[in-house]
Amino acid sequence: MTLERPDRADPYLDLDEYEPEADLMVLNFGPQHPSTHGVFRVVMYLDGETIVKAVPYAGYLHRGVEKLCEKLTYAQITPIVDKNDYVAPMFNEQAVNMAFEALTGTEVPIRAQYIRTIVGEIQRVASHLLWLGTFAMDLGGAIGGGTSVFMWCFREREMILDLFEHLTGCRFHYNTHTLGGNRHDIPAGWAEKVHATLGHIAQRVDEYEAILDHPIFKARTEGVGVISAQLALDLGLTGPLLRASGVDHDLRRDAPYNIYDQLDVQVMTDTGGDCAARYRVRVREMRESIRIARALVDNVPPGPICGTKPIKLPVQTRVKDGQVYVALETPRGELGTYVIGGGDNRNASPYRLKIRPPSLHALSALPYVLPGHGVSDAVAILGSLDPIMGEADR
Amino acid sequence: MAVDESDLPFEHPLYDLMAKMPGLDLATTSVDKLLNWGVRNSLWIFPMATSCCGIEFMAAAASRVDMDRMGTIVRGTPRQSDVMVVAGTITVKMAPRVKRLWDQMPEPKWCVAMGSCAISGDFYRDIYSVIPGIDTVIPVDVYIPGCPPNPEELMGGMLALQEKVALKRAGLRVPPEVRPETAKMIKPRVGRAEDPTREKLIGHHQALQARTLDLTEPADLVEAMTPKAAADGDQEGGA
Amino acid sequence: MTTAERESAFVELLRARFGLAEDAEPPPEGFLLAAEHHFELARTLKQQHGYVQYVSVVASHWPEVPAKGKVEGDPEHYEVATLLRTVGPGSHVARWRVRIEMDGALDSLVPLFAGADWQEREQFDLVGVRFADHPDLRRLMMPEEWVGHPLRKDYAIETGHLPWR
Repeated sequence: MTLERPDRADPYLDLDEYEPEADLMVLNFGPQHPSTHGVFRVVMYLDGETIVKAVPYAGYLHRGVEKLCEKLTYAQITPIVDKNDYVAPMFNEQAVNMAFEALTGTEVPIRAQYIRTIVGEIQRVASHLLWLGTFAMDLGGAIGGGTSVFMWCFREREMILDLFEHLTGCRFHYNTHTLGGNRHDIPAGWAEKVHATLGHIAQRVDEYEAILDHPIFKARTEGVGVISAQLALDLGLTGPLLRASGVDHDLRRDAPYNIYDQLDVQVMTDTGGDCAARYRVRVREMRESIRIARALVDNVPPGPICGTKPIKLPVQTRVKDGQVYVALETPRGELGTYVIGGGDNRNASPYRLKIRPPSLHALSALPYVLPGHGVSDAVAILGSLDPIMGEADR
Repeated sequence: MAVDESDLPFEHPLYDLMAKMPGLDLATTSVDKLLNWGVRNSLWIFPMATSCCGIEFMAAAASRVDMDRMGTIVRGTPRQSDVMVVAGTITVKMAPRVKRLWDQMPEPKWCVAMGSCAISGDFYRDIYSVIPGIDTVIPVDVYIPGCPPNPEELMGGMLALQEKVALKRAGLRVPPEVRPETAKMIKPRVGRAEDPTREKLIGHHQALQARTLDLTEPADLVEAMTPKAAADGDQEGGA
Repeated sequence: MTTAERESAFVELLRARFGLAEDAEPPPEGFLLAAEHHFELARTLKQQHGYVQYVSVVASHWPEVPAKGKVEGDPEHYEVATLLRTVGPGSHVARWRVRIEMDGALDSLVPLFAGADWQEREQFDLVGVRFADHPDLRRLMMPEEWVGHPLRKDYAIETGHLPWR
């Protein structure tokens, strides 16, 4: 690449002060575009083929979830937040329930913590599979005939959805976590199914790597969209984006929740900071998650799966004071929940509930990263950030 | 005065030609049947995928279900598509774009509302930023309930649409099956796209909005935009 | 350092330089500081104590509480909680709140953390709290022409926006 790219572009660039001779063109991208992964809009100012300034617009899927949660009781919120990050709903449920447990001081039995960890790791594999399929499709027909990787990844993702359907009865939005534990216990024969499915996927991951070890894929990802470690920290990027920039940070190891303090989680990092590094980190995380889930699923201790009985009545969850922040590591990074207690329904609702969306932080990197790249690289960069708009806009 | 057009004589040079040439009417009928068969079995889809239903839509187009075998190719552009599948919540910020994309699609076109959010807004229905069902913006032919519907249900909906297309092209009317009590319960503030009172309502509401926008104090404006104030405005307009 | 050690170091820092009372127990709502310490605290934490990752900002709206008998009244105001994090093992979240009056503005953290840009825009959009010296304080989630701030307590959830709803 011959283009000059500074470490960090100026997002507040005044276009009048940019070369007056330049004949700038405005290109609108989105909000409805197959490569925007939802509804997201970027207005790009182009000098020839090179992006000079990028102005993103979010909020096309703002559904007012935080306002809605202020009207519901703690036990009613779980199925609502399922729809935020619709590629990894298990983490959404767990994030709000962990925050409510911290607020109300509810203990979670050890068996429920095992189940939460296992379904979380399996969900991480499913989420990364979906990302890999759509990312390879975004990069176009050059790789293995266009939609091959997409079709392969969805084939394996369906197997994971079958696992969850066996466990919870639902294919997509599970509503399995609840305040103080889980609703669904592991059914008979589920562990064998997990071993069979994940063992199968572990072999298939090698196939994906083989097909994506391809000169065109490398040319379109290596050196494209470099995010330096300092910029990633300043922007609050988390998860694979941060680790691909070389920062060794993973909440599963560094601020453990569930039973992660008893596990030896290998944190996958890479130094490039470009799209290829983000791809490598996610593929390695898939292998690691498969390893963790397979190691745990045979050793789930017996016991209750929910504190005493599932909490359904608001009278059990009244909290007057207190503000908590609880975070966990999702496939996209740190999903935090900030809850202020003491709201409607005589203190059985949160006064204010704020969800810290990793996707919104990821998207805020675009004006810093896009300038200096060509238009075709914009699709690769946006895809490599793995944004889920339902979570970013809420 | 309303004129019943069915009694008027239909005159067209092509019609005269068909009447004179023996056997041509038979041929055109056969060609028409062939065209109908072709239209029915090559419904190209424009996915208006905004949220969770979009993922299930992708699953329907992917390996296990493989919707393509019904002749439904997914196109990323409205100009080459026959069917708009609205999959996901449509917000106030997105609705003008959906309308604009719908207007860009060439006739004949159909719309499928996939999932509860596109049908009625689901539990987001009463939230300030969500429109209560896509049929308040564009006319909908097939509703597929579910949150989100399974890929198989989406295929069932597409089969229902094929049936409807065949009936409509054959000149038959397909009456909507709406229970009156349900319709009353889910009636949105602004009429549905096929509601005859819609034009009048929207004109009135736009006038009301323009009037309230003249207010200088934001707080007053918020008050003016709340449903109670709007209801008062309705009475004024009526009088 | 472990998380607990960092927590106690954070409390020590607040007591030594940022006006926290010596014997104050950590309240369940988190530490409430004066607004003038906000920017200086964030800079100290970032440059000297390793809180290099920007986590989030949470604004909340508190309507007026009229005085009733012995209970003191409280005028309408905002509260803004800020969260910063250290990276690596023993990660800790520094969390503090400041109180902003309705016509006041909080110092923006954009000069320190680029990620504060969108988060503060979002809170301005939804809650209405203003951030001083923010380079680009526009609405993020709602359309530009939107009236009102949806997450305020006096904003009805079913507010219409004609002709769309």
